[in-house]
Amino acid sequence: MFADCYTSSDTMDLNLLSNPIFSDYFNFHHSYGELVGEDGNIRPHWETFFHSYAQVGDEEMSNRNNDTMRLLKENGVTYNIYGDPNGMNRPWKLDNIPFLISGEEWTTIESGLKQRAQLLNLILEDIYGERKIIKKGILPLDLIYNHAGFLRPCNGIKQPGKHRLILYAADIAKSTEGKLWVVNDRTQAPSGSGYALENRTTMTRVIPELFNGLKVRHLSPYFSALRNALNEIAPQKNLNPRIVILTPGSKNETYFEHSYLSSYLGFTLVQGNDLIVKDNFVWLKTMGGLERVDVILRRVDDIYCDPLELKSDSQLGIPGLLQCVRSGNVSIANPLGSSILENPGLMPFLQQISIYFLSEDLILPTIASWWCGQPAELQYVLDNIQTLVIKKIYRNPTGSSSIDGASLSASQLSACKEEIKANPSIYVGQEKVEISLSPSLIEGKILPQKVLFRSFLVSSKDEYVAMAGGLVRSSANAGNFNISSQTGGFSKDAWIISPEPGRVVSVLKESPEGAVETYNDMLPSHAAENLFWVGRYTERVLGNARFLRTVMQFLAEGNKLLNENNRQTERNLLEAFTRYSFTLPGFTGEKAEELFADPWKELKDILFNEKRSGGIMFNFLQFHKAIHEVRDHWSTDTWRVIRRMEEDLQNGVPLTHHGHLQMIHTLDNLITSTVAFIGLNRESISREQGWIMLDLGRKIEQSLLVISMLKTTMVKKFNDQVEYNLQQSVLMSNEGLVNYRYKYRRPLQNLLVIDLLLFDPNNPRSLTYQVVRLKDYLKNLPKNRGHQSTTEYERLIFEADSHLKLADKNELAAPDDKGYKNLEIFLSELYHLLSAIPGVISKAFFKHEMTPKSIIFR
Amino acid sequence: MPRNSREQICRNTSIHIKPQPDRINEYEDFFGNKVIYFSIEKEHWELTVLVTSEVERMESEHSRLIDYPIAGLEEVKTELLGPDADVIDVKQYLFVTPMTSWNAEIIQYAMQSFQPGRSVFEATHDLTHRIYNDFEYKPGYTTIATPLSVVMKERKGVCQDFTHLAIACLRSIGLPARYVSGYIETISPEGVQKLIGSDASHAWFSVFIPKMGWTDFDPTNNCIVSDQHITIGWGRDYADIAPMEGIILSSGSHELTVSVDVKRQNSL
Repeated sequence: MFADCYTSSDTMDLNLLSNPIFSDYFNFHHSYGELVGEDGNIRPHWETFFHSYAQVGDEEMSNRNNDTMRLLKENGVTYNIYGDPNGMNRPWKLDNIPFLISGEEWTTIESGLKQRAQLLNLILEDIYGERKIIKKGILPLDLIYNHAGFLRPCNGIKQPGKHRLILYAADIAKSTEGKLWVVNDRTQAPSGSGYALENRTTMTRVIPELFNGLKVRHLSPYFSALRNALNEIAPQKNLNPRIVILTPGSKNETYFEHSYLSSYLGFTLVQGNDLIVKDNFVWLKTMGGLERVDVILRRVDDIYCDPLELKSDSQLGIPGLLQCVRSGNVSIANPLGSSILENPGLMPFLQQISIYFLSEDLILPTIASWWCGQPAELQYVLDNIQTLVIKKIYRNPTGSSSIDGASLSASQLSACKEEIKANPSIYVGQEKVEISLSPSLIEGKILPQKVLFRSFLVSSKDEYVAMAGGLVRSSANAGNFNISSQTGGFSKDAWIISPEPGRVVSVLKESPEGAVETYNDMLPSHAAENLFWVGRYTERVLGNARFLRTVMQFLAEGNKLLNENNRQTERNLLEAFTRYSFTLPGFTGEKAEELFADPWKELKDILFNEKRSGGIMFNFLQFHKAIHEVRDHWSTDTWRVIRRMEEDLQNGVPLTHHGHLQMIHTLDNLITSTVAFIGLNRESISREQGWIMLDLGRKIEQSLLVISMLKTTMVKKFNDQVEYNLQQSVLMSNEGLVNYRYKYRRPLQNLLVIDLLLFDPNNPRSLTYQVVRLKDYLKNLPKNRGHQSTTEYERLIFEADSHLKLADKNELAAPDDKGYKNLEIFLSELYHLLSAIPGVISKAFFKHEMTPKSIIFR
Repeated sequence: MPRNSREQICRNTSIHIKPQPDRINEYEDFFGNKVIYFSIEKEHWELTVLVTSEVERMESEHSRLIDYPIAGLEEVKTELLGPDADVIDVKQYLFVTPMTSWNAEIIQYAMQSFQPGRSVFEATHDLTHRIYNDFEYKPGYTTIATPLSVVMKERKGVCQDFTHLAIACLRSIGLPARYVSGYIETISPEGVQKLIGSDASHAWFSVFIPKMGWTDFDPTNNCIVSDQHITIGWGRDYADIAPMEGIILSSGSHELTVSVDVKRQNSL
């Protein structure tokens, strides 16, 4: 083992490079890299780092690596890949060896980035203002006017604050000669800062030893600066502005980060349909009514933000948003229109623009680029296409953003040339840089990897503030110039090795005294709706799983004793389950006889087929979808349980036809995890509106399920044995057998089963129990818009309640010659009342039936 | 609302909206067009917007021209390359937009009119004439989403399609062209033929010719625009200057009707 080679850490320095841990590293490459200097010696910061690494030891590092993966998975750190059905919620991958940047190098990078942010800000102001650089011929008109990110409706708009460009991110590559290049500018809605923070948090938790002896700069000052910057741009110097993060939704590539930043910074996470424009202001639709929004931190691409003036078919935006911005009533970071700067065509002109605006040379050079809108440059690109990367000036949000000339076949090459010649002004040729290699831990080996470093900057009162760190992405593919999370690869933490310049502050401690606001009434309608559905689907999964388990258990035992009573019970249970779970036609349809002969195939389909509407897997996926829409509501422990539910179902598929017991076992596990989920919610969610919506959903679903259960099993008249069997199944499916025996201490009876499941105020599964709580929740829902009179949903619950109270149990339990008619009517009436409540609540609080539609006057 | 231009002055304009909007903002867009934004925040079943404008229309200078400029395509393009700051305003109408994208077939179609030695004015007039003859005016056949390649293939469309086609032709060979939205005389004086497209909003195009300025042609009516056309505004294509557009929040469907009256007050 590595650590055995050295008795004392002091003696290792000279021989570190010849140590076995690096054997794989130099098999691949032996040239200038991050690790080794030109003099052939390991660089000092790496030396300290690997010193600590050696002390941890190879084997332990491998353990820690597993810890890292587990922690990230448990924290729900994911990213999504578009266009890949299996690409949702991919676990985030973090390499335990960080990317180290020396203090000296950082000084250059930092000043270069600040200058670049300042310059891009001036360009942005000019493009949407006087357009001097175009008029003076410093920047060609085509590069702006022909760029899809030049949003003409944003012309002339100003918002408060020193800079127009609030957030900026740059991708930096280091060439094998040690030169630093800016490869990409990100000015639209730069992503990655949340992942950088999560990477750092994970590293400090999992391998704190690696920080020994290194002064690693902190990330928190960046986030304090971000908070200040957003406060700075609030309209009318609002001291306590309401800031929201606008997300396209849970399917977005970086949705994890949106919700992560939302909880870290304490800003409400919203989607376009949570916001509404009224009277030239933007409002957040909450359970308690409308709340004014001052600042929007957007993660939605600018053209999608306002369907009225930008992309008319966008469902992600807020109609009329630009009118509010123009009126100065809301500010956006970054302002709409800033994607014009994500323009590789700007690169060849930046040096000149820097001279014009700042009278300075660029500190960080831009990667050599040739804009094809000029004849000589066009010719150069056509002649040298195989050595270049070809980019469009405007990044197509769906397609790939660049083409490596070397990767093209002869016919592709000539097609590409034709395309460039047909429309030269939208193409740019960029030099390919040999990226320097940095040590990475890949499957237990230290290997050289290409890395791309993304740095984040934010506006402040004086100048831009750079995050002292960043997000590093690495690629194993030596020929792959494009490194992005979309195409896989690892991420790394970036360590700036230098003493902290000032005091270290945590973002939460940074808030001024008394500025801590309570957001009790701030639950966005969208979140409320999803919580409501989480509640409903939880109970639906649980209720169906329990009933299905009961049915399966009966089948598994009943098959042995094929008497008529058992056969009749079986058929009734199967039919009842079909109706109860809405998996029609199932055991009630034309093919019922066939299915009765071999019910297991149908039951397996109901359990595992994700496309079977009403089935367990189907409902679980609905539950899962709703969970992710409100992912910031769940604690780490809760996430672990959610993942267990997922695994229970995924791993539970029996391989053979005779997997009856395994399916029952799968249901056992699923039921236990679902109950754990409910229990954890009760433990961890504070009793505010979020909880009310969640539990309201549960109680509504439970009420409807218990009614359905009785209606499908207990309204028909059979002989005593069959009725007994059915009653027993009902109780088993409702965790009621124990309660029954304890309370009544006698054999099962129709009357008492009904009493226990409908009327017992102490049985947590009885209808009365649900209705009492529903009445309480509904009474306490916010009565917005000044209405004090009884609402429709209150009327419905009062009526259901009095129905229950006035019922005559004996009458309900008494059969006539056809069956239990009174019970059937009674249950139908209650179902009718209670099932109307969700629709009424939805109308009052969610308003999802209102979708914006564009009208066009041709 | 009608904007002022070389050929017209908007003397007076008023807008009546029912139900009463909660908010009205008035501003000029990027192209200098007059825009009115309004929002109605209460539930309503019907929305009526009535705009009444009094516009003084001067007869276009060039419609009386006998000696029109004879600059050819290459000369015009050379002039546009100049460093003159005013050129920005013109050059912005050179670029492709989603509604005016061209293909080889469209370039080919344009080149038939722009033969070497022919003046831009004459060639554009010829293009207008050819579109009128080659394409059938057929309302309801296309929508605003119909691409030009389909219009080219089917040889059918309405004024927007013909205008976009002409613009694509002109831009494909390097000439600045803009989309003009407006209305045409609906109640013609006796003896004058009623124009096509008069009952609703109309559209035509304008080409920039040095020394002559922006010159309007109407391919739907096969004419050089004169005093029967009232301009509302212009842009790069329809998307920049739709006469009215908006968003409604509703769960049902909606129906839209448009009618236009253009009446001469004092015929000279």
